[in-house]
Amino acid sequence: MAVLTKPAAAVPAAAPRRRRSRRYVAGSVVRVVVIVAVCVVALFPVYWMILSTFQPESKTLSFPPPLILKGFNTGAITQLFQDQPIASWLAHSVLVALITVVITLVLASFGAYLLGRLQWHGKLIFGLLLLFTQMMPGAMIIVPELQFYRSMGWTNNLPMLAVLYAAFAVPLGSWILKSSFDNVPDSVLDAGLVDGLTRLGLLRRLLLPLSRAGLVAVAVVAFFLSWNDYLFASALITNRAQYTAGLGIATFISQQDVPIFELQAAGVVFSLLPVIFYMCVQRYVVRGLTAGAVKG
Amino acid sequence: MTQVLKAGREHAPGQLRRRSFSVGPRRRTSGAWLPYLLVIPILAFEGVFVLYPIVKGILTSFKSQQLGATGSFTFSNYSRMFADPVFWQVVRVTLIFTAAVVVFMLVAGLFIAMLLNWSFRGRSFVRGIMAIPWALPDIPVVLTFLLMADPNFGIFNRFASWIPGLGHHYAFFTSSTLAFPSIIVLTVWKGFPFYALITLSALQAVPDELLEAARVDGAGAIRRFRSVVLPSITPTLCLLAVLAFIFSLQQFSLIYLTTGGGPGNDTTTLSIDIYNQAFQFFNYSYASAIAMVGLFLSIIGTALFVYIERRVVRSRS
Repeated sequence: MAVLTKPAAAVPAAAPRRRRSRRYVAGSVVRVVVIVAVCVVALFPVYWMILSTFQPESKTLSFPPPLILKGFNTGAITQLFQDQPIASWLAHSVLVALITVVITLVLASFGAYLLGRLQWHGKLIFGLLLLFTQMMPGAMIIVPELQFYRSMGWTNNLPMLAVLYAAFAVPLGSWILKSSFDNVPDSVLDAGLVDGLTRLGLLRRLLLPLSRAGLVAVAVVAFFLSWNDYLFASALITNRAQYTAGLGIATFISQQDVPIFELQAAGVVFSLLPVIFYMCVQRYVVRGLTAGAVKG
Repeated sequence: MTQVLKAGREHAPGQLRRRSFSVGPRRRTSGAWLPYLLVIPILAFEGVFVLYPIVKGILTSFKSQQLGATGSFTFSNYSRMFADPVFWQVVRVTLIFTAAVVVFMLVAGLFIAMLLNWSFRGRSFVRGIMAIPWALPDIPVVLTFLLMADPNFGIFNRFASWIPGLGHHYAFFTSSTLAFPSIIVLTVWKGFPFYALITLSALQAVPDELLEAARVDGAGAIRRFRSVVLPSITPTLCLLAVLAFIFSLQQFSLIYLTTGGGPGNDTTTLSIDIYNQAFQFFNYSYASAIAMVGLFLSIIGTALFVYIERRVVRSRS
């Protein structure tokens, strides 16, 4: 098929150079200062967390607490791993998060396809049903959920906890992915149909590969939902040997005998994975989340 | 090319819809039953793990505390709830908390988005690190804020001592005056990056031509903002408002692990109250009744979300 090329757009005349007026420079300086200020506010608690991890307890628990590192406690993290079963806690959290993400990605793909591209009876009701499942925020649903899990003998069962997280993540994930699916041009899908793809094939070979941003956004949502949860984990997992990291670290709050630097070290270690994960994929996340919501 | 496409899609008029593929047997398609096949795992999954407990929760709220599941339908939980002044205080706390968090997060988000809507070197770096509060799990945040706000060793108190007229032994999370603002600050700090980043996307989506045209027409910066930028981002802002509403309605760990709902009931939101009723007092039916109120509030929020989403979609197509 002959490809018609549009005549190259005429090179636009150079935009008139704005004089770098004093007002502009002054405005820029103010802007930079404010941006730095905002970054400081956003990051100060993180800085404090890291600082308190490596600072000897005597310095941290003094008044006034030093703003800059005074003394260096190299053994903070190793001591943490020796004193507390944090390694197994972290392993539990990772396991649960992985299961959640996998289940969510699979089901949200179906859900997004069902919500958007596929036309079928009952689509509206299905959409409303999914919406309804999102309407009960955590604390509202914890009681019946706990009773249900107890009756099925699923308490202290980490994979079933992951299944629960996935159940919460799938509706939201479906909506996010649906936006991404909608952004795939019709022409691409038409071509796929012409090439003889089944509707399932359309999903597998066209929609999913082209919606990477949306898939990443869904994975992030599912991962964070699982990694960060405290409420459901605390209700459903009571066996200390099966604690997830969030649960384990939360027990430090009421204990008196955990050294401060161990507390903060635990916080740092627990935060490493989600922060690194987010940094790696952040390009995709905003794109994936706003695929349908933002005009243009 | 179009001829081939049209020939391949000879359905009854009305069955073919843009942006979706109708059910209807076609060549080697996997059959009309594909949607119904795909929907089964999802329905079963959500039905078992979410819908069934929700329905059970609704039913439990109508059972009396003493008789439990065997008892008959009763409104006793609700009458007790509506007559309880503590309940109304909890509702008040929840609504004020939610309103404050939503307003502050959206305002902060807009402010920061406008700040960042400027090409400068290192912008993506700043965007990245600004997202960290949101990416952090709740527990480490709680641990660190508890340390920072400690009445004896907290850095916040050191900052306070720098301000003339302020002392330096404030118990931020246990004081009856400071606890409520403290949880608001904590929640806003934790959540603002999400709203800032989405608003930034919306700002960047404002068509340059419109802004340029406005500038050429002599509109000043403020006028440009009011007449060009604001209308463009309003749908996004409304969406974010509803999301923020739900986010603050369901906040639990940040509040429970810092103030515990106290002192007294000063910072007890609906979520905290339900948790206490269920796990401290074991009043499962009463907790379910309170949960119904929460459900009611979030239905309103979600209905708003659907309404706004429809409007956005309609205005796009």
